[in-house]
Amino acid sequence: MEYVGEHILPGEIGRLSVSLAFAAALVAIIGYYLFEKTQNSNYRKLARSAFAAHSVGVFGIVLSLFYLLLNHYFEYDYVFKHSSLDLETRFVFSAFWEGQEGSFILWLFWHAVLGLILMFTAKKWESYAMMVFSAVQAFLASMVLGIYPLGLKIGSSPFILMRETEDNLGLPWTQFADYLDRFPYFMDGSGLNPLLQNYWMTIHPPTLFLGFASTLVPFALAMAALFKGDLKSWVKPTIPWAFFSVGILGLGILMGGAWAYEALSFGGFWAWDPVENSSLVPWITMAGAAHLLIVFRNKRTGLAAAFFMSILTFILILYSTFLTRSGVLGDSSVHAFVDLGLSGQLLIYLLFFTLISLGLFLYRYKQMKTPDDGDDLSSREFWMFIASLVLLISAFQIIFSTSIPVINKLIGPEGLIPILEDAMAPPLDAIKHYNSWQLPFAIIIALLMAIGQFLKYGKTSLKFFWRGIAVGFASSLVVTALFAQLYDFWRDPLYLSLLFAAVFASVSNLWFWLKKGKGKLSFAGSSVAHMGFALILLGALISNARKDIISQSQVSLGEDFPSNENALMELGDTVPMGQYQAVFEGMEVEKDKQFYQVSYFKDQNDDSPEFTLRPFLQMSEQMGPNPNPDTKHFWDRDIYTHITYSSDLEAPSPEGYKNEAEIKFNTGDTALYRNHFVILDSLEYRSPGGLTETAQLMLNRGESASYKDYQISLDSVSVNARMDEETKALRAAKITANLQVLAPNGKVQIVRPAFIIDDQTKEYRDTLLEEYNLALRFEDVETSSKKIILKVSTQLEEFKNSQQTVLAANIRVVNVMGNEFSIQPAIINEEDFTEYRDTSLEAAGLKFRFEDVDAETGDIVLKAWTKKDEDEKPFIVQKAIIFPMINILWIGSILMVIGSFIAVWQRLKA
Amino acid sequence: MKKTHIAIIIFIAIAIGAIMVTINDASTYVGFNQALEQKGTKYTVIGYLDTDAPMDYDARANRFTFTAIDKEGEKQKVFYNQPKPQDFERSEEITMKGFATDSAFVAEEILMKCPSKYNEQNELAGYDTYQE
Repeated sequence: MEYVGEHILPGEIGRLSVSLAFAAALVAIIGYYLFEKTQNSNYRKLARSAFAAHSVGVFGIVLSLFYLLLNHYFEYDYVFKHSSLDLETRFVFSAFWEGQEGSFILWLFWHAVLGLILMFTAKKWESYAMMVFSAVQAFLASMVLGIYPLGLKIGSSPFILMRETEDNLGLPWTQFADYLDRFPYFMDGSGLNPLLQNYWMTIHPPTLFLGFASTLVPFALAMAALFKGDLKSWVKPTIPWAFFSVGILGLGILMGGAWAYEALSFGGFWAWDPVENSSLVPWITMAGAAHLLIVFRNKRTGLAAAFFMSILTFILILYSTFLTRSGVLGDSSVHAFVDLGLSGQLLIYLLFFTLISLGLFLYRYKQMKTPDDGDDLSSREFWMFIASLVLLISAFQIIFSTSIPVINKLIGPEGLIPILEDAMAPPLDAIKHYNSWQLPFAIIIALLMAIGQFLKYGKTSLKFFWRGIAVGFASSLVVTALFAQLYDFWRDPLYLSLLFAAVFASVSNLWFWLKKGKGKLSFAGSSVAHMGFALILLGALISNARKDIISQSQVSLGEDFPSNENALMELGDTVPMGQYQAVFEGMEVEKDKQFYQVSYFKDQNDDSPEFTLRPFLQMSEQMGPNPNPDTKHFWDRDIYTHITYSSDLEAPSPEGYKNEAEIKFNTGDTALYRNHFVILDSLEYRSPGGLTETAQLMLNRGESASYKDYQISLDSVSVNARMDEETKALRAAKITANLQVLAPNGKVQIVRPAFIIDDQTKEYRDTLLEEYNLALRFEDVETSSKKIILKVSTQLEEFKNSQQTVLAANIRVVNVMGNEFSIQPAIINEEDFTEYRDTSLEAAGLKFRFEDVDAETGDIVLKAWTKKDEDEKPFIVQKAIIFPMINILWIGSILMVIGSFIAVWQRLKA
Repeated sequence: MKKTHIAIIIFIAIAIGAIMVTINDASTYVGFNQALEQKGTKYTVIGYLDTDAPMDYDARANRFTFTAIDKEGEKQKVFYNQPKPQDFERSEEITMKGFATDSAFVAEEILMKCPSKYNEQNELAGYDTYQE
């Protein structure tokens, strides 16, 4: 079939590019291998061209996907799912990497860029390092192949058309050649998650993925050294790459934190979420690796450790990828990817590189022996080694706790080898759990960072050590005391220790730079980066340990409940909020955003507010309302606020009522609504003509049945047929039941209800016993038993002429005092028009509506509301937190990144 | 023995310690019944929202009340001392961390799993209306 209106070409180019990237990477591996074997430079030429072709393929993938997104070709599944017509062009980047496929491509792209640089600069390491690069790229490219050989799924392609996806294949709509025109559904995509429509999403993922990609270079160089058996000279060219990785990965992680703080409502910049953890851990080990490389470069010791950490970092990157993309974290993280069915492939990827690299490492381990002179307690390298070990433990602790879902998969009750009886859940208080471990590690690291500056490689004379450290120590004590006094840290020894350690580390590194580096920029790398890291610790400590939730409300919910951290603010009312008096001034709608304006006054009598914040809710069909914080920045503290609830979000209730609730129950059931028992006693039904209490009787000739106090018996059934004069065919028949009705007073009456059928219609001739208000309908004859079906109803005199169908619920409402009220809400139908007869209990301020009957269960659906106070105003519920000294954290972040890059530059020059 | 070896041994000791403490710290996934047996002890319960039962957020008391059904099919009223999470009705699965009391399970933290928009493919227009 020829489909109409599809744009096949760009997708084909995309798929072709993927195949090219995949195949060329394989060729590059073989080429480099043959070159190493034969030293025939033609093979190297081949390999280089293959990697160049691979890169062309990768750039082709990127360009095709951008082309599809920019042109809104919604017949493509990826374009449909991640963009829409109204998406601003600047968010096309965000749409590009919102999905898993797109982020794999981003990763491929950075690897290709770094690979090209490495190819031209790696010199004698080129062959093996590029083999590793190409192998990694082949695996990554296979993730977006989207082919199904032998029924296996290999990769998930972003260039697949919607009609070709697994879910849609063979569905009826795919049979229409003109489906794109025929179904309006394909006119527009489902759009980008509104949470991701901000500039952070544009810059954070590429930075983070460059960070991930950068860890491959030290890994590839280390592997090249292991392959060649030339174990020492790889260190020098690796150092700048390692620091580049520390800097860029650190920047990516910190951007994630800044994004969470600025635009998401997690209530902070770090929450120890598994996804956050799994990018932090490789950063920690990379920092360790970089320092071990320096130790080896300066003192020729600790080679095995340098190898191990460099390799481990990349393995952890792969492990993180597995964690966040295999669906394993589903229960424990708020923002892991959904499983694309690639977990098997990811696992192979992880195991392949883990086994090869660790295997090689063990194979070469004996040759890595270095002289023992790095063992002096007064040497800098010894303590750098210890610091790296601490970093490793810290990383280990984080990754172990994060891996609990994996442990469940392995040894949980439903795991591979069921050892555990209960499934392990992540720690209940994750932040406390991680902090209790990471705080002591941070103290040790900061202290080592401080003391290390006063030590020399080799041996340090005590005189030199003490002279240097005395000033730094003393001045740090003063600064620590100042902070401790300001932010009341005296009573927490652990916090106080970290405070001191962080201050000491910054001061020492400043000292080192001024004294030893003479304040020269070319000497600044380590000092600036260390100072930055120490300031991050300091800022994180103060802003987190002394954060103050100022939106405490007065409502107490009992001793065991956590204190209430959300304040209710009615329109125009003044609510105390920390040192401020806050007023909710009003709401404004701008497109899909609802801004809530809250003013903060220093004093209630002030005319103009100190400042005004406008946190907003972003409304979207897919995601519902999403709170977006607004923060007032002061130099020494931030006031961070977000809306947690708003009266605008309440379901629309009838005028003057609120708190809509839905109750579903059946006859005899009791429900609880606002301290009232609501009991459904019975249902009443009334059909047109005022008929009610209808019963169905089935009678054979000579039988009788009772309805209320009446005995009804069937004498006989007579059939009157009308034939067509000419054809003698049956044209119509009147079927009459001859009934006797015996009243309680002994009086007998004869009635003859009937129905007339022809080939199209059925008409009832009902009878009415006016004296008894009894209506009888001869409904039908049951074919098998020949019994007649009779419907007997009581007619309500006053509704004789009504055309309404009424369904009413007899409900009792009992309050806490035991007082009972009977109500009868009803649904009234008249000629396709439905009306609700609501009932309200004025005294209790309740209103009830009989909404519907559940066709499946027969339950009735009742809606209940409570009355609004006359003077009730719109309100918001807001959370407001003061983060003191959070700017130290941001300054530290910037310094650390700058410092890392200075270090790269320094090492490139060296 | 080299000092670095001592450091490595200490490292391994701390690592083992970390594993032990983490296993100790880790809670277990349980059903409401088990949580009710040990009132006041914190547990993690995974369940889903009982859409038949009333759901109510009292803004003034800042208390959200709903009924959840755990994996064993047990229904339990749950208090959540926070505003109603956005899109709560659409959640497929609710992870509740908290403790049981006589009147209700008090959730201190709630994680929801929402149907991702990836699953909505089958609702493609035309699938229901055009059948041949």
